[in-house]
Amino acid sequence: MPYDAPGHADELSDELRERWNETVQRAFAAQNDALKTRFFSLDPGALADARPTDAIKWPGDPGKPAFCVGEDNAQALSDWGLTGRRAVQLEYCEYMVLTARDATGALRPKRVEVTTEFREYWACVAMHDPELVRAMAADVLGEQPSWEELYGVADPHALSVEEREIAFGHTVAGHGNDRRLRVAGVPAQPTGRLNMERALFMTHPINGIDDLIYVAIFGAHAYCVVERDTRRQASGDDVFSAFKVTHLACNHADPTISLGVYDRVFRGGQVAFADPIGMYIREPNLAVFSYSGEPLPEDWVRFSRGRPGSYQRLVFGPPDEHEAFLDDVTLSLGASEQPLTGGYQLLRELEIGPLMSVGEAAPIDDGEWETLEPAAGTIACDDEESCKPVRDLLVRLQAERAGRAAPRTMPEPTV
Amino acid sequence: MAAALQEGIYHAPGRRPGRFFALLFLRANDGVDAPAAGAALAGLWGMYSDLKAGRIRDLEGATLPASEDAMTVLLGLGRNAFALPGVAAARPRGLADEYLFRSADPGGGGPLLRGSGLQYAPDVRANMATEAFCVQVIADTKLAVDRAVVETWKALADQAQPALELTTFYLGNQRNDRRSWIDFHDGLSNLRSEDRESAIAIGPGTDEPWVTGGTYLAFLRLAIDLPGWRSLGRSAQELAVGRDKLSGCPIVSADGGVPAADPACPVAGTQIWEKPNDAPFAEPPEVADPAVRASHVQRANHHIRPASDSGSRRIFRQGYEFLEWAGAAPGFRAGLNFVSFQDTPARLLKMLTAGGWLGNANFGGDENAHPRLASLLSVYGAGVYVVAPVVAGEPFPGSAALGVAGQAPPALAEPAITGGAAAPPE
Repeated sequence: MPYDAPGHADELSDELRERWNETVQRAFAAQNDALKTRFFSLDPGALADARPTDAIKWPGDPGKPAFCVGEDNAQALSDWGLTGRRAVQLEYCEYMVLTARDATGALRPKRVEVTTEFREYWACVAMHDPELVRAMAADVLGEQPSWEELYGVADPHALSVEEREIAFGHTVAGHGNDRRLRVAGVPAQPTGRLNMERALFMTHPINGIDDLIYVAIFGAHAYCVVERDTRRQASGDDVFSAFKVTHLACNHADPTISLGVYDRVFRGGQVAFADPIGMYIREPNLAVFSYSGEPLPEDWVRFSRGRPGSYQRLVFGPPDEHEAFLDDVTLSLGASEQPLTGGYQLLRELEIGPLMSVGEAAPIDDGEWETLEPAAGTIACDDEESCKPVRDLLVRLQAERAGRAAPRTMPEPTV
Repeated sequence: MAAALQEGIYHAPGRRPGRFFALLFLRANDGVDAPAAGAALAGLWGMYSDLKAGRIRDLEGATLPASEDAMTVLLGLGRNAFALPGVAAARPRGLADEYLFRSADPGGGGPLLRGSGLQYAPDVRANMATEAFCVQVIADTKLAVDRAVVETWKALADQAQPALELTTFYLGNQRNDRRSWIDFHDGLSNLRSEDRESAIAIGPGTDEPWVTGGTYLAFLRLAIDLPGWRSLGRSAQELAVGRDKLSGCPIVSADGGVPAADPACPVAGTQIWEKPNDAPFAEPPEVADPAVRASHVQRANHHIRPASDSGSRRIFRQGYEFLEWAGAAPGFRAGLNFVSFQDTPARLLKMLTAGGWLGNANFGGDENAHPRLASLLSVYGAGVYVVAPVVAGEPFPGSAALGVAGQAPPALAEPAITGGAAAPPE
């Protein structure tokens, strides 16, 4: 089996690596049954004369809310604590802002924890190797969590593998849209503090590896549009409209993955996820950040859970022992100097994406082309129906800020 | 009726812009409010329409050979336009301070943007490209663009109390060999025709409907250190640009520091910009060699699809070379009037500042091995303008935003619940 731990972040036993690859294989099989294509392979080693591509990446900030309510409101929604994380952080990148009290007692942002790690990977390790998952959590959190905090029980070793998955799902991972877990009563989002107050790994079902594989396979077809007897490359509007999945056009990640893969397939290339499959954070230009007019201290920008070029975690901001706060960091954008008040601004400076491989281009047979009808028009990403959840969420936030109502809120995490 | 992009953006397949270029900057005089500035612009717009039709102010009854000129005129509204009293529209999002260029340092020079390797030239103490309005004129004859400048002055000078002042203008032209002053081909990897409008035109939004269908113009007046450039050998130049100097073919490898292009490029008997080279070769391929990835063309285009997503950082460029006298050696200043159109200036600003892109780089290439690359380009002017769409019935594009009489004012933007950026640094 081809894939190592995402980011090569952990030393996996052969057996655990096998289990992880089975997890990936299951996610692939579920999608490939419906979208079967020869242009996508789950094995990067199967590609002829493969070369890496760094072209499938996107800004980490949530795209859809900006279409619906504008950038300023999108920032407010995204930075709305756990509510914002669970509602709008849907670009394979989730974050939490940790807060602390300053000398005056005011609660202020201290650090941002950004994660692009798949819940499926953590759940797989939690099922088969409780010691390793606890070590991973300890490394990420800076303190060793109890078994109760990870599994809700004192001894996960006494549970079966399936029981551990359910227990870990309840407490830390959520159900990830897995039917078995839903039937078992696992909620969509976890209920334990480890992944509510902190960003341990991604939990939103839409940020799952099955969705990643789906949008990649969806793009891995020889689509074309025929105009005046000439075959041309389909546009994003053509592709997403033809399959009635226009919602995929309205964020950063999905169209970039699907159309990035399709762009290579159209030229005859076969595509695979490079080893290790994962979602990775490209290093930003730190020159746009400063503290007291100076570059940020090195220990304010901590990448982890991977290697250079394949990090899955970023902790950004001053350490506990430093008197500064996140909003003491200045972000220089254009002619503006902004205090860094949350994660949204940081995510706009990050690029996220999987590492992929493309095989040597080969001719596409006439019978392989899938001719699409050209789109009737440009897909509207600000339409009433698709924007309703975002606009409703904004109303809730505005009500909360105005103090007119007391909607469901989550406690602000503190360090 | 659907709003349309203004003329002067040559994005349609097969269209080539005129060879000559002028960019004029207009300041609203003290005490002038937005409707008064708009009335003056309406007068200028009518004058430009007359010029395009062959009619000229001081030659009543005479007819100019306008068809030879093929002149287009485009109007942009800058940040200062939205600070005029009586303006009907809020400053659009793309003119927020975070999407504008920094000012030059009072003593001269200074960074164009934090995180960019572009600096203002040491003798630039004020950026002249930040007025309330800009007018882009493109034509097939130099006379046509020169005349537009002079006629603009005439129209304003004839007013007893002119609302606007022509503060400066920049001229340029395109070379007929499709190269720039650094001798390399330029503009080859511009957006594919089918992708252009989706990257250029501002899409529908909820809070700024009056700019939907318009675009943002970004302008940079970039001087080139030609002595420094010519001090580099051909290999270093090719690795800085990412193209073969003679053929224009993309560099795909640099084994042993020797740049190499695809041997199949260009197709025998053709030039790089001609079919069938355009599809396979004009846009450089994605490469793995770090030395090639550091080149300008690779930094500026990471091959991200779709171009409609601002994260692709694709822009539509129209560049015009300039040459002007300068006192210092070599006795002239050669450079590029860089003009780009995009649905948000964020595309360009992120391209110039992001890590792995042009962030911290001046132009591209190995600046450590070749330090003069770090100051190859210097900035003499920089500005961002919103280019309002053409709306039937409006006296000129964007007139409603200025509160020109007879037009329904556009809806003001919905107030956001977070504060905007802090004031610019000066």
